Order: sequence, then C-alpha cells, then structure tokens
Amino acid sequence: MFQVVVGHSDDPDSENAIAEVLQECNRPLRGSIPQAGLLFTAIDFDHTLILQRIQDAFPGIELIGGTTNGEISSILEFQQDSLTLMLFATDEVEIWAGIGRGASKNPALAAQEAIAQAKAKSASTPQLCLTFPDSLTSNGVLILEGLKQSLGEHIPIIGGMAADDYTFDKTYQFFQGEVLSDSVPVLLFSGQLLFSHGVASGWTPISQRSRVTKVDGNVVYEIDGQRALDFYQHYLGEEGFASNYAIHALAVFDDQDHFYMRAPNGYDQQSGSVTFFSDIPEQAVVQITDATRENILSASETSLKNALADYPGVEPTAALLISCAARRRILGTLARLEYQLVKTHLPKALPCCGFYAYGEIAPLVGKGQTQFHNKTFVTLLMGTK
Amino acid sequence: MNNQDNFIQIQLEKTNRILQKKLERCQNERCQLESDIATKEFLLKKVICELEESQTDLQQRSQDLENTLNSLHNMQAQMIQSEKMSALGQMVAGIAHEINNPVSFIYGNLSHLSQYTHDLLRLVQLYHRYFPNPPAEIQTERKTIDLEFLEKDAIMVLQSMNIGTDRIRDIVLSLRNFSRLDESEFKAVDIHEGIDNTLMILQHRLKATDKSPEIQVIRDYGNLSNVECYAGQVNQVFMNILVNAIDALGEFNAKRTYQEIRDNPCRITIRTSVVDSQWVKIAIADNGSGIPESIQKQIFNPFFTTKPVGKGTGMGMAISYQIITEKHRGKLEFFSTPGEGTEFVVQIPMQQQVSKVL
Repeated sequence: MFQVVVGHSDDPDSENAIAEVLQECNRPLRGSIPQAGLLFTAIDFDHTLILQRIQDAFPGIELIGGTTNGEISSILEFQQDSLTLMLFATDEVEIWAGIGRGASKNPALAAQEAIAQAKAKSASTPQLCLTFPDSLTSNGVLILEGLKQSLGEHIPIIGGMAADDYTFDKTYQFFQGEVLSDSVPVLLFSGQLLFSHGVASGWTPISQRSRVTKVDGNVVYEIDGQRALDFYQHYLGEEGFASNYAIHALAVFDDQDHFYMRAPNGYDQQSGSVTFFSDIPEQAVVQITDATRENILSASETSLKNALADYPGVEPTAALLISCAARRRILGTLARLEYQLVKTHLPKALPCCGFYAYGEIAPLVGKGQTQFHNKTFVTLLMGTK
Repeated sequence: MNNQDNFIQIQLEKTNRILQKKLERCQNERCQLESDIATKEFLLKKVICELEESQTDLQQRSQDLENTLNSLHNMQAQMIQSEKMSALGQMVAGIAHEINNPVSFIYGNLSHLSQYTHDLLRLVQLYHRYFPNPPAEIQTERKTIDLEFLEKDAIMVLQSMNIGTDRIRDIVLSLRNFSRLDESEFKAVDIHEGIDNTLMILQHRLKATDKSPEIQVIRDYGNLSNVECYAGQVNQVFMNILVNAIDALGEFNAKRTYQEIRDNPCRITIRTSVVDSQWVKIAIADNGSGIPESIQKQIFNPFFTTKPVGKGTGMGMAISYQIITEKHRGKLEFFSTPGEGTEFVVQIPMQQQVSKVL
C-alpha cells in the first residue's frame, strides 16, 4: 500500500486553515495512519500552531516542509497565502526525516547531520531524498554537496529552497513539530518506491556575453572588469535592479550552448558585489536572462512530460511540483495556468502538492548528477508497483 | 436553523478573511508588476541597443571581409596581368634587341652599297661613252642583262631597301619604347610618342585585310609638354583602350553590310589637349555601336568582359582605371551613345607630387 493524500486551505487564519487541511486529508485516509508528510505554507501563518495540530493528529509523523512564495495542490491548485499538506500512508515504502542545523556556519556539516539522523532510523538503503533548506542564510550548492557526500552521488535529491514573500528577509523550515531557520530538513525514501523526475526552465539569455572576472564563492565582485552591481544596473537600471534582481538571473555557460542559471539574492552597494543563491565559477561566461510567460509555461509542460516519459511504473500515485518564485512573479495571474497545464497530462485524481521556491534541486536529466538551479520547474512523480 | 446560521456565519467570516488577504496582495502585486514591467522595458531597450551595435559591427566586419576579398581578387588578377605584361615586355624588348643588330648591319652598309653601286654605274657609263662599239660578246651580255633597266632599277631597289630598313628601325624603336622595361619611376615623357608607338604595334589590326576593312586613325594632337608618368603603364592604358575600340569596331562591322561600311567607315579619333596649367587630356573615340547602357556601370569592374571565353580577361579596363586613378591620381571616364560610338577620356596631371602619391 502506498497511499498519498493532500489537503489545502486558503484560510488566512492558521487555526481554521490547518483544521480544514487535516479534515481534507483524513477523509480519504479512512483511518490509515500516515507515516510521513510534506508541509508548504505561506510566510505569515502561525507555523508553530500548525505543526502542533499536525503532531496532535498524527503523533510522531516524519514531517518536513518550509515556507514558500506560493503553494500548489490538486485541491486548490495555485494559491498564495495558503497552506498545503501531503501525507504518505504506506507499508511498501520507508520514509524517515532528518534535520541539520546551523547551515550558515557549516552547510556541508548541516547536510551530513540531516542525512545521518534520517538514515539512523532504518537499515534500508535510501532511494530518494527530498529537501527544503533555508535559502537566505547559506549556500545551496554547498548544502547539496554535503547531501551528496552523505548519500552517495547516485541517489537522486529533489527539492527546493524555502522562500518568503519576496522580502528576502527570513524563511522557515519544518521538521516534525519544530519551526526552524538556517536548517536543512530531509526526507529519505527507501523500499519499493518507483519515481521519475523532470526539469525545464524557459529562460533565455539576452544580453551580451560577459566574463566573471572576480568572484568569491557565491559573491560576484566583478564582471568584465567592472563592478558586478554596475553590470547589473547597466541592464536593469538602478531602481529596476533593486526591485527585480531576483528575476533576471545570470545564465552561466558550461560550454558554448549549455547553461545553468544563478539568481541573485542580495547585493552590497559599497563593494559593488552581487550575492547569488549559489556559487559561480571565476572566468565563467555569463549573460543576463529574461523569460516570456509563454516560454515559462511551455517549459513547465516539458518538465512534466519528461518525468512522465521516464516513469518506471504503470501510473504514478502522487506528484511533487517545485517551481521557481521568479516564474510565479513573471507569470502573474497566469501562475494558475502553470498547474492547470501540468494537470492536463496527469491522471485526474492524482494527488499533487508543491510550492514556489528560491532555488530548485534535481538532476537535470534522468540518472544524472543532482544539481542546484534557479528559474526551473521540477516535477517528481512517485508510486509503487 | 441555528446550526445552519452558524455554518453560514463561519463561511462568511472565512470568505471575508480570504478577500481581505487577497486585496492586500493585489495591491502589493500591482506595484510589483509595474516595477517588473519598467525593469523589463529597461532591459529590453539595453539589449536592443546592444543588438543594433552588434548588427552594425557585423555589417562592418562583413563589408571589411568583402572588401578584403575583392582586394585579394584584384591583387591576384593584377599580379597575373602584371606577370603577363612583364613577360610580354621582356619578350618584346628581346625581339627588338635581336632584330636591331642585324638591321643595323644592313642599315649601316646600305649607304656604302649605294655609293659603290653609283660608282660602278658611273664607270659603266664611262666605258660606254669611250668604247661605243665593244666586242660582240659584251654587246650580247648587255642585252641579256638589260643594262639600261638594271641601271635604273638598281637605284630604286636600293631606295626601297633603305625605306624598308628605316621602317624596321622605327618598329624596333616603338617596341622598345612600348615595353619601357627600364622605367620603374616617374619620368617626363612625350605622350604622343607613346600613342604613336602603340598605334604602330597595332598597325596590323588597323590596316585593311581580307577579313576586315581599314580603320582610319585621326590624330588630333594638341601642343602638350612632356608629362610625368609611368610611361610603360600609360602606354598599357592606351593599348587597352585602342584594342577595345578595334574589337568593338570589328563587332560592329560584322553586323553591317559592305555598303554601310563604305558609307560610314570605321574611325578612331585621338585628341589630346591641355586642360589647364596642370592637367592634360587624351580622348580616344571610336564610331562603333557604343556600350549598352545596361553594362556601362560594370565597365571598370574586375573580371567584367563582353568578349567570348578565352578572348578577354576582363581585367584590361579595371587595371587601366587603377593605373590612371590610383597610380597617377588622374581620371578615367567614358561617354557612350548607343549607335554612335564610345569615347574614353584620360586626364592626368602633368606633374606628379610624390608626397601625395605616397
């Protein structure tokens, strides 16, 4: 048995919202006790209360999650200021949660601690890892490196960085009954789980090609010999940069044709540096990107189609969807179309849950290395035989 | 009823909360959207500027490449032409030299031979006067050789030989002048001499033959001082223009009846004049069929030819244009009226200022 249920409420009142969500989840569970769950909520809920209510309903549940920039589910589709919960009730798959703290001090160590904690709960070999780390205190690439080291490079990691309401102020992560910041929550799956994933972006590099000439990890000081901030402000304007820098990520070229994206999450007026969600190599060729709503939607569809094509079973039981916050912002009122478009390719009753993140984690191709990226739509399909 | 009211109350309160939240968000997102659009516009304008710059740059580079390619083609063609001309010049100079020596023997000895002949004839006449009745054998021989005719004709043969050797010497001199192998620098030369030398070389094409009627050449020379130029190259220009004129007249004749040719014989008119204190003008006109308007713009283009494959390289006029305009800072233009003929006009400064040329 691998039963997945979803609840979703747009009631801004935390007490009412979680009550509504639990009620929605309990109905199809028909008495089954879920072992694990994923919780995605808007930033201004009473998260402690929500977690408490979930623990009250399902004591000891292996639950992780985080705050978001928008929530998705098969119940209310795309929403903002809402909370959505996905629960797993299964005897075919083992699901264990772990948490790593102090990601800002030592991201790799935090990641290792999280994996170690989850692994300690079972002798089974993990098949898949989900994670929703803090996006603002640490570096996504370093966290991912730590996760890969602990799990082994061949175990796929799927996830997204916890987000807020575009204030880039603070994000929260959830682990069991705890509301945390600066942490790395993980959920390990082992046993009979079948799954597949897909990733697509839709962003296009449009500026002239430039070269990163001075960088320290994820802090870029100079591009083409000029201050990184001046480089960005040249293209976006001073005001435009201050309010929109997260949208116009840099395409970082692996070679002449292939690129991945790095989005800024801060800047320093004095040094003229721009900080990114994760590392950019020195001497990397970069271009400022832009996207049309049409291309974004088309990429979401591609991501799902890729996952469906790779799915090893007959039909998936559930889908996890992680999209970038910048996609939601550009899509505007069309953000609801992103889910609706994806839904047309999925079985009608398939439980779906997801959120808009500040950076996505997934292998770019099936059986490929897990990578950190921005501006993408990640699809994870799960099920059993 | 109370329960239902209570439920409706709860639903209304929830809807109210949601609407308030959505209103708040709506306001925020409207501002955000305006800011997004402004930024996007800014970015797009920048990128359009960059693309325009890049396009201009590419067009410039493409033009540069095209120019370089054309220059290379020209250079290659000129090198071939120049090699040909150099080889031709050397051959002409060689032939002229080889002919010059034996002709000099003949020319140098002709005056002696003439003197000896006159002396001998005078002696024969003296014999005749003092021995009017010679022996029969001598009288028979006199009749056999027709001494009276021989006395007259020998003088004429010698005169004819003199004229012939003079003509050979003139031709040799023209060939040497035309090739001008020794002149790689500017030199003040008589332009008329260059034209005459060129006409001399082309004499065989100007004279009437079984296949073509004579082409009249009208020389209308002005009073020109010597002109500073690369004489060999300027002669090459005259040669190219004259050969084209002769070819054009040949083609024109091929389309005309005998009567038409008689009524309006082929003619090349060469006029030279002084334009002002610094410039001279040489105009070479034919009375052929003219150059069709459709190809007039291409006349100076490299590789442009109307001649059959193998007959013309298409470089003659292109090189002539370059010789006059670039090497002599002059002008080469033409005026053509279909049905009436074509006139090429060369204008060059009488003195070349080296610094300007460099």
